[in-house]
Amino acid sequence: MKTLKMMLAMGLLCLSSAAVQAVEIRDHHQEVIGKDCKTCHDNGIKQFPSDQACQQCHDVDELAETTARSEEDKWQNPHNNLHYGKELPCQECHGEHKAKEPICSNCHTFKYDKHKK
Amino acid sequence: MSNVDLLGRRKFIAGLGAAAGAAMVAPAMAVSEKTDGVKWDKEVEIVIIGSGFAGLAAGIEATKLGAKDVHIFEKMSYFGGNSAINGGLFAAPGTPMQSKEGVKDSVDRMVADQMAAGRGIADEALLRHVAEHAMEALQMTFDAGSEYHPYLQQLGGHSVARTYQTTVSCGAGITQPLLHKCRDLGVHTHNRSKFEGFLIGGNGEVLGVKMRDNYHFDEEQPGKVINIRAKRGVIMATGGFAQNVNLRMAQDPTLTSEVGCTNAPGATGEGMYEMFRLGAVPVHLAHIQSGPWASPDEGGFGYVSNYSIYNFPHSIAINRLTGKRFMNEIADRKTRADAELACRDEKGNALPPILITSYKDSKKHPNTKKVIKYNVGWKFDSIEELASHFNVPTKALKTQIEEYNQYVKSGEDTQFGKNMTKAKDKYIEAPFTVVRLWPKVHYCQGGVQITTKAEVKDSFTGNPIAGLYAAGEVCGGIHGVSRLGSCSIPECMVMGMTAARSMMKA
Repeated sequence: MKTLKMMLAMGLLCLSSAAVQAVEIRDHHQEVIGKDCKTCHDNGIKQFPSDQACQQCHDVDELAETTARSEEDKWQNPHNNLHYGKELPCQECHGEHKAKEPICSNCHTFKYDKHKK
Repeated sequence: MSNVDLLGRRKFIAGLGAAAGAAMVAPAMAVSEKTDGVKWDKEVEIVIIGSGFAGLAAGIEATKLGAKDVHIFEKMSYFGGNSAINGGLFAAPGTPMQSKEGVKDSVDRMVADQMAAGRGIADEALLRHVAEHAMEALQMTFDAGSEYHPYLQQLGGHSVARTYQTTVSCGAGITQPLLHKCRDLGVHTHNRSKFEGFLIGGNGEVLGVKMRDNYHFDEEQPGKVINIRAKRGVIMATGGFAQNVNLRMAQDPTLTSEVGCTNAPGATGEGMYEMFRLGAVPVHLAHIQSGPWASPDEGGFGYVSNYSIYNFPHSIAINRLTGKRFMNEIADRKTRADAELACRDEKGNALPPILITSYKDSKKHPNTKKVIKYNVGWKFDSIEELASHFNVPTKALKTQIEEYNQYVKSGEDTQFGKNMTKAKDKYIEAPFTVVRLWPKVHYCQGGVQITTKAEVKDSFTGNPIAGLYAAGEVCGGIHGVSRLGSCSIPECMVMGMTAARSMMKA
């Protein structure tokens, strides 16, 4: 079981039993969401969640405060960044069924140590 | 270019794995169809496809001219396209900052500089149209709240300093204000909306578009396709195709997936190809530009690109094998990219050259702090330290720096003929900052042919295709062989504004 979870986290396995494991990437999600897929999949199980789905529980202004950086690096705040402000959909950097890199890493070598895929 | 050269170049680029980053993308096929029997799901006044500089400027201008129901569609989940992740450099003649700095410039002079880089195949009428209206576009950004560094820059191939740069040193310093302006004016902006083809009337005119909603780029998810009638017409502002490896390799086989790319992932060209299918004239597709200021030590445009652009005028680019300069650091982009690609070790493997700048000069640009902090640029206290770090012959490098400093003094570069105006009093002295250079695919000079009214011409009749306009990088032939830096933003915005004006008059 632990191995399976690890493989998931590494993005090696993202089909078959992925659905059951979805909430295990983030412990707190398991607690809150449990096994109710529809909590996130508001557009139907076969569709990606809407870009509003995460905001049932998360507030972008609060997230932006949590991840704020010093004045000099203020635009590297992933939740309020230079290129897209606060509008970047969560799913660009966070995945529940497969690991994701922050979109910043397309062009920058920033380190986000607390980023959970 | 001979086949031998092509193969050689391919080998140099391929040898540099670190620069890789462009993912293979296979966009879903778009197909246009006749409107006979089509059920319209929605009717709007103006449809704009793409939310970069061109699309946003078109949206603002159309609304100013009285349009009430303007819709901008963006296939990605975020707005701004490639315009949100470039250098934010804007060239215009006759600007307030040129008056302040006493720079003598004119529309003629800006056009002449661009014609030279276009190597005989640029479109003078379009370049002139853009230069004549560039100040209006710059004003549109001022009005929307864009802020610029308080100095001009002289970019490669420009005979005078005429380039503004946003204070955030990024195109986002323009796209974000323009996007917010659009919304303030009541322009409707739709993300995750993918263009799927035109809907055509009985006489070949564009009546509307098919759009897929809830689109997730690069993922398998069938969103719903709806038919949208565009009463005044459609503006295609869909950008270039630098991220579509198959399409760019069809034009230039050396541009494999291993070659780095500065573009946003959505720059895949479906909109352009759908216009070709409709009959638009393909122009200069094989002229794909690589940026000579990019770094192999980071992905995309990153921090180094703007660092280099700012510093090239008062820096030396050094071939690490010889310790010598190998190009005019402010020649046009193609000249420099080709010269960099020729830098290699004895075995023919890529040996990215280095750009050496005096720290006292480089530190004036905010990116210098960033490149050092994020380990994509380095600071050295002596020539010896620098030479040993990059394995450059110390003696040759010392001699080169002494020689170059003579050019700074005399104002004449007898080695490569660089314009030394912006290098005045800027001797190369320790401490130094240094970055590595390697070209990345940056811009597609090719695209659909347009008129100075932003109309799209038909291949067979030579007449504009009714109801269809195009603006920005999706258009081709304007710049010829090599577009000059900072000339895309004015072109995108002016042609977006022009498309809106033409449409509102039609």
